[in-house]
Amino acid sequence: MEDIYILAIESSCDETSCSIVKNGCEDISTVVLSQIDIHKLYGGVVPEIASRMHIEVITKAIEEALFKSALTMSDIDAIAVTYAPGLIGSLLVGVTAAKTLSYVYNKPLIPVHHIAGHIYANNLVAPMEFPLLALVVSGGHTELVYMKYDYDFEVIGSTLDDAVGEVYDKVARVLDLPYPGGPKIDALARLGEDTYTLPLPLDDDSYNFSFSGLKSAVINLKHNEEQRGHKIVKENLATSFQNRVIEIICKKTLRALKEYQCNHLVLAGGVSASQGLREALKNLCSKNNINLIYPDLKYCTDNATMIGAAGYYAYKIGKRADLTLNAKATEFLH
Amino acid sequence: MISLFLDTSCHMMTIAIYKGKRQLYFFEEENKNDLSIKLIPKVKEIMEALQLYVTDIEKVFVVNGPGSFTGLRIGLSFAKTLAWALNIPIVPISELEFLATTDGTPYIVPMIDARRDAIYAALYTADLKPIIEDVYIKREEFLEKVKEYREHITFVSLDDFPSLPVVRPKVNVTKIIEKYIDRVGVDVHTLIPNYLKKTEAEEKLNGTSV
Repeated sequence: MEDIYILAIESSCDETSCSIVKNGCEDISTVVLSQIDIHKLYGGVVPEIASRMHIEVITKAIEEALFKSALTMSDIDAIAVTYAPGLIGSLLVGVTAAKTLSYVYNKPLIPVHHIAGHIYANNLVAPMEFPLLALVVSGGHTELVYMKYDYDFEVIGSTLDDAVGEVYDKVARVLDLPYPGGPKIDALARLGEDTYTLPLPLDDDSYNFSFSGLKSAVINLKHNEEQRGHKIVKENLATSFQNRVIEIICKKTLRALKEYQCNHLVLAGGVSASQGLREALKNLCSKNNINLIYPDLKYCTDNATMIGAAGYYAYKIGKRADLTLNAKATEFLH
Repeated sequence: MISLFLDTSCHMMTIAIYKGKRQLYFFEEENKNDLSIKLIPKVKEIMEALQLYVTDIEKVFVVNGPGSFTGLRIGLSFAKTLAWALNIPIVPISELEFLATTDGTPYIVPMIDARRDAIYAALYTADLKPIIEDVYIKREEFLEKVKEYREHITFVSLDDFPSLPVVRPKVNVTKIIEKYIDRVGVDVHTLIPNYLKKTEAEEKLNGTSV
C-alpha cells in the first residue's frame, strides 16, 4: 500500500501546531507553539490574545514542521485542519492557512473535528480496535463516544454544564492554585485523604455529566469551614473532589462499555494526563477485562499530530472540504 | 509582474490584480460576516477569469490594519500563507492610507470608528504623504490636533460622525500600487496585523487606555 502523508494544522485554542503524519499512525514531525505563559498572566485563555498570537506564528509553524520532516509539499497527499469546535478567532487562522495551502498546492482539504483528533491521538500509540468507547475529558469537553468502526462517532453522553477540565481549573482557583490548576489538583490529590463530604455529581441513568453542582459544593464547603474558623486542608479537599469526579466517570464509563458491548476503551483530551484518572481507569479495565489505551502525555494537550491521525481516516473515507470551509465555534461530533 | 492586492480590514472586501501598474481586475463587495467563506474562492474565481494560475502571482499587497480584528486575521492568514508558499514578497499597506486614496484636496483625513468616542485616523496629503501617522485616539483629541488644517480637510469614512462632513471612500488601488510597486517585501513570518489598539485584557492588566 502506498504511504499517505497528511499535513495537519491545529489552532482551536491557545496552541498553534502543525504536523506531518504518515498513514494515520506515525508522527513524522510536529511543531507546537504554546501560548500558555502569556495566558497565565490573565488566569485563563483570553480569546483575542490567543487569536493574535496564532497569526504571529502560523507560517513559522508550517515551515518548521515541513523542515523537520525533511519532506517537501510535493510529498504531501492532503491538508487536514481543525475546523471546529473552539475559539472562533483562533480557528479561523488555522482554517484560512490550510485552505490557502490546499489552493496553492492543489491538495485535498480534510476538515477534522477537534474531538475526533483527541480520540485519534490513541492511534499513535497502537492501532485502535473496534467497537470502542472513547472517554473524552478536557478543558472544553466531557464526552462518551461510541465508535462502531473507524471514523464513525456516536456521542452517547456529554456534560450538561462545565467540562471536567474547566471544573478542575475553577476548583484550583478556589484553592488559590495558579492557572492552569488542573494538574496541580491532580498532584495535591495524591498527597491527601478523602475526608470531606461532597456529592457524587449527576448519578443518574444517562451518560451525561454535570460538574457545576460539585464545583458549588467545593466553594460552599470552603466558605463554611472558613466561617467556622477552620482551615481547609487543601490536599484533602483536592482528594475528595477528584475522587468524586473519578467515581462518576468510572461508573458511567463502565456501564456504557457493558451496554455497547465494547472491549476497548480509549482515553482522550487534556485531563487524560491526570494520574488519578489514569490509575482508576487502569484498575477498572483490568478488573473487567477491557483493553485500555491512553495517549502519550505529549499528545494529551492540543496538537496537530492527532489531527493528522484523524485526518488520515477521514481522507480514506472520502471526507473533503472545499475552499468555502468555515471555522465553527460549536459543532456536534458526527 | 503579476501582483495581488487585498483588503479585508473593514466594511468592504477588496481584491485587485495588477500586471505592473496596470489593473487587470478590481472587485469590491460589502463584507457581510462571510469573509472566511468567500475570500479564497473569490480570488480563485478571479484568477481563473484572467486565465492565470495562483502560481503566477509574484507579489502580495495586503492591508494589515487598522480595522476589524477578525477581518484582518482572515486576510493576513491568507496573504501570509500565500506569500510563504509561493516564496514571494509581501508588502503591508495601511487601511487609512488606502482610504486616503479617495479624491480630496489638499488634505485627507481617513477615519474608522473604534467605538467609545475613539477613532483610528491619520492625516495625508492628496499624494499620500503622511502628515500625522496612523493613530488610535479619542475623536475630539484628534480634531484638536488637525485644527490648523481644518478648512482644507476632506474627511473620508464609511462610518458616520454626526458633527463632521464625511465623504464616503472611493478608493483607488492604482495609487497604492504606483507608490509601493518597488517596495521590498517584509519578513512574512513576522508580519502581523497593525491593530493599533491593545486588547481589553492587556489594557486592564497594564492600566492603559486611550
